[in-house]
Amino acid sequence: MLELKHALDAKGHCLLEMPSGTGKTTTLLSLIVAYMKAHPLDLTKLVYCSRTVPEIEKVMEELRKLMNYYEKELGMEQNILGLALSSRKNLCIHPSVSKEREGKVVDGRCYGLTASFVRARHGGDDSVPVCNFYEGFDAHGKEFPLPPGVYNLDDLKEYGQAKGWCPYFLARYTITHANIVVYSYHYLLDPKIAEVVSKEISKSSVVVFDEAHNIDNVCIDSMSVKITKRLLDKCSNSIQILETTISNMKENDNRRLEREYQRLVEGLRDATIARETDMALVNPVLPSEILEEAVPGTIRTAEHFVAFLKRVVEYIKTRLRVQHVVQESPAGFLRDIHTKVCVDRKPLRFTAERLASLIRTLEISDLTDFSPLVTVSHFATLVSTYTKGFTIIIEPFEDRAPTVSNPILYFSCLDSSIAIKPVFNRFQTVVITSGTLSPLDMYPKILDFHPVIMTSFTMTLARPCILPMIVSKGNDQVAMSSRYETREDTAVIRNYGNLLVEVAAAVPDGIVCFFTSYLYLETIVSSWYDQGIIDQLQRHKLLFIETQDAAETSLALINYIKACDNGRGAVLLSVARGKVSEGIDFDHHLGRAVLMFGIPYVYTQSRILRARLEYLRDQFQIRENDFLTFDAMRHAAQCLGRCMRGKTDYGIMVLADKRFSRADKRSKLPKWIQEHLKDTNCNLSTEECVQISKRWLRQMAQPFSREDQLGISLLTLEQLQSEDMQKKIQQRAQAA
Amino acid sequence: MDDQTCPKCKTTKYRNPGMVLMVNACGHALCESCVELLFSKGSGACPECKCPLRRNNFRIQLFEDPAVDKEVDIRKRILKEFNKRQEDFPTLREYNDYLEEVETIIFNLVFDNDTTNTNKMIDNYKKENKDITMKNRNRQSQEEIELEELIEAEKAQQSEKANLYVNAELEEKKQKHKAREKLIDELMFSDADAKSIVASHVQATAALAKEQPKAAVQAGGPVVKSSKFSSGIQIGLRQNTSSFLPIPKQEDLPLFHYSAPVFDYDGPSPPAIAVLGKLNYCANIRAANVTERAGGYTEALSCCRALQEAMGGLFYSPQSSHKTTIVAAQETDDMETT
Repeated sequence: MLELKHALDAKGHCLLEMPSGTGKTTTLLSLIVAYMKAHPLDLTKLVYCSRTVPEIEKVMEELRKLMNYYEKELGMEQNILGLALSSRKNLCIHPSVSKEREGKVVDGRCYGLTASFVRARHGGDDSVPVCNFYEGFDAHGKEFPLPPGVYNLDDLKEYGQAKGWCPYFLARYTITHANIVVYSYHYLLDPKIAEVVSKEISKSSVVVFDEAHNIDNVCIDSMSVKITKRLLDKCSNSIQILETTISNMKENDNRRLEREYQRLVEGLRDATIARETDMALVNPVLPSEILEEAVPGTIRTAEHFVAFLKRVVEYIKTRLRVQHVVQESPAGFLRDIHTKVCVDRKPLRFTAERLASLIRTLEISDLTDFSPLVTVSHFATLVSTYTKGFTIIIEPFEDRAPTVSNPILYFSCLDSSIAIKPVFNRFQTVVITSGTLSPLDMYPKILDFHPVIMTSFTMTLARPCILPMIVSKGNDQVAMSSRYETREDTAVIRNYGNLLVEVAAAVPDGIVCFFTSYLYLETIVSSWYDQGIIDQLQRHKLLFIETQDAAETSLALINYIKACDNGRGAVLLSVARGKVSEGIDFDHHLGRAVLMFGIPYVYTQSRILRARLEYLRDQFQIRENDFLTFDAMRHAAQCLGRCMRGKTDYGIMVLADKRFSRADKRSKLPKWIQEHLKDTNCNLSTEECVQISKRWLRQMAQPFSREDQLGISLLTLEQLQSEDMQKKIQQRAQAA
Repeated sequence: MDDQTCPKCKTTKYRNPGMVLMVNACGHALCESCVELLFSKGSGACPECKCPLRRNNFRIQLFEDPAVDKEVDIRKRILKEFNKRQEDFPTLREYNDYLEEVETIIFNLVFDNDTTNTNKMIDNYKKENKDITMKNRNRQSQEEIELEELIEAEKAQQSEKANLYVNAELEEKKQKHKAREKLIDELMFSDADAKSIVASHVQATAALAKEQPKAAVQAGGPVVKSSKFSSGIQIGLRQNTSSFLPIPKQEDLPLFHYSAPVFDYDGPSPPAIAVLGKLNYCANIRAANVTERAGGYTEALSCCRALQEAMGGLFYSPQSSHKTTIVAAQETDDMETT
């Protein structure tokens, strides 16, 4: 709290690492809300970004508790409005549209019902369907703001149902005057969406990125484009649709095209003043100076623009017809496209904007078919706008299947700071927090910002409730490692198997194991099967395996939880960087032990990764190995953190790789894990590991009541106000 | 690409992977063997649109859609003539109008709309803008130059950086190896306490590690490739990007110190300006009125001036002046020799 307050006072950015389950969310919310109440002028809004919908719901729950507490203590209604925002898919209450499963389809259909021209047509002709909820919101919703309170997604839906207003647009509209907004990263980081949703958030806001250990990847993904052959074929189809629509319109109603043309002649600025529902397509890049300029003459009329698009698409098609991998910089690409099909850089830059304008003019209400073309237009705009920090890689086939021709053009962003820069520039305080941000100094480097505060917190615990151990060798003293040279070694695989069997025999309830990749998991499991290890394992516990199929994995998870709940005990084999390692908590008996088999390095042969490493080296002086280790260790830490979700929880963390004991790897673990990782536990054999964990489990199994924690990791109000404690706090504050 | 078919003989790429489609000015595709067959005489009519074609003009089809091939072809031809730049127009609006006009011409040619008029327009344009066209042909546009520069810089950076880092890494490895060997040697042969040796070794490596990042930073600074000779003339065939002369470089000279100029009156020195009023000289001059005084003028100024003029050169004699000029000439000579 102290550090956060410093950052708020200094109006700077901060980077905080707090172990999971220690009340990170509550701390952030309560301090920032209190600060907002104390300095209503300095701090007007809290924007809380989380990753998934369940996480958003969790934050809303915490916020509701906080508000209730305020009400109880102060005895009056609080004038604070907090709301969650999600995609249309999660918020739609239209009877038929909300039945759709895919987010894109929902968006497209919603657009088809609420776009301004559809509504205008509805005005003249009642048979044109519109969304009644949106109409209701449009007619009345804007005059009556949402009453203060805390609204999660379901509350919004209920409120919308009751009033007959569209919850999605209500939430979008309310963002401007809500005090606390909780939504997903993408609404801020992805420039395509941020422009629409978050444009009006004032500068004096605090932005919190929770669970931000992957924030650089989110940034990169939001700026990267992947173009496949199929996508291009679909593009050609949509271009044809555009052509026919234009020629039809020319015959029937030439006025609209002419009006658009006139507007474009005047400049794009006016053309972009679109109504809020017409947002389905927006400019993917931010440079506003482009928008001030007029559209170049080459793409001003509709037919010319369609021909232009056709040329671009055909050009990309020829580029995809390669036999070997091509890597190119945007500058090289621009030159080539100029010589081959005479496409200049400037009209390319306007492609996305021009396409959006055209689709609006043509009043095409079903946008789902056009998404490939939109992707290509974004690509064109990005490639001509940014010459630095991006690379184009064309692969004729996948590495795993070199015989199957499957050409893909990757336009990949190498610099994670490009997407996040506007956020840092715009808001006075940006808080980046997660349970696992170590090593902290890497984030400011790769995101290119200067935090005023950068701290890693540890836990104050009444008992040593985590037991990290590094197991480097098996009982036969053969070193364990997932190194490429030794990963096929039967001795290593057998040792891993024995470790798991022995741990499974000693540890009650659930055990989660993480492997470095799906491929590795499969090879190991098949050789365990041959060696009879699977049989041994199943004598103790049931076995579940994560696969790449999401449905299969969730079924495995459900059964895993069932097996843990009824006391049978289970082992879950999963993959670091997989679904299980990211969003799912194994608290209490669901995860009494986590085993990490090997160091989860990324697949280093990938060309995109190589390009990014090179870029990082050249631009930020980050050495390749440093970044790879950093990336591997943050994923390892993320996996290990799965079993610790609170102070009353306890769990064993086994790092089964010789390389973990090296100083450069060990020092990159989060502080709260390092603190418990004693030197004596750094080079254990399987047997020693089991001995230590047995002793530790006996200790942990003692009854642990609230009284034990009081005074150490839990304070009553009296204790907090006692003189000793006050002194301690003051000392802390002065020392800082 | 597999579904490409020759419209004449109906061969597909699937059945004959060696098939190559060709296009001519009319934008209709034919496979290579059909071209051989139909145009064995060197010229003939397109089997689809019956327009007369020459065999020499057949090219391999680059794009999936032959129409695009045709369009690109026409576009290249037209853009060779219509190559005005934004700099040639007073406003952006006019430039954009021009671009659109070009686009329309290309469109008309591609779809055979109004061909006669369009051709007339092109001819007119050619006549009117002959010199600009010629000039622009040898000139790269601003954007092209920018791109070229970027590409060049990238190339330079790549080769230099790659070497740099490989070397740095090798060096580091060597150093580590050396340090370890040194430690082992010391432990083997030295009489000192093993613990102290290890401790000093750890310290030394830590110090080294601190230095390393610095070196990396130095090495990693962006390498700017010089695009100019030392004389300031640009390398390469580029024209001056801007019409302005380069700003002359200012050199660092010693600071200027003021010293009062010495006047050589060649006569009696006139009274100082401050005492003119006292000596009653000013009575002979028209007093300055209010407006003049507001501008900073006093009668003493013009009085002083008059006195200086009156007294200056009273002692002048031709010989002495001759001497001074000679001295001055000598001085300049000295200057030149030094």
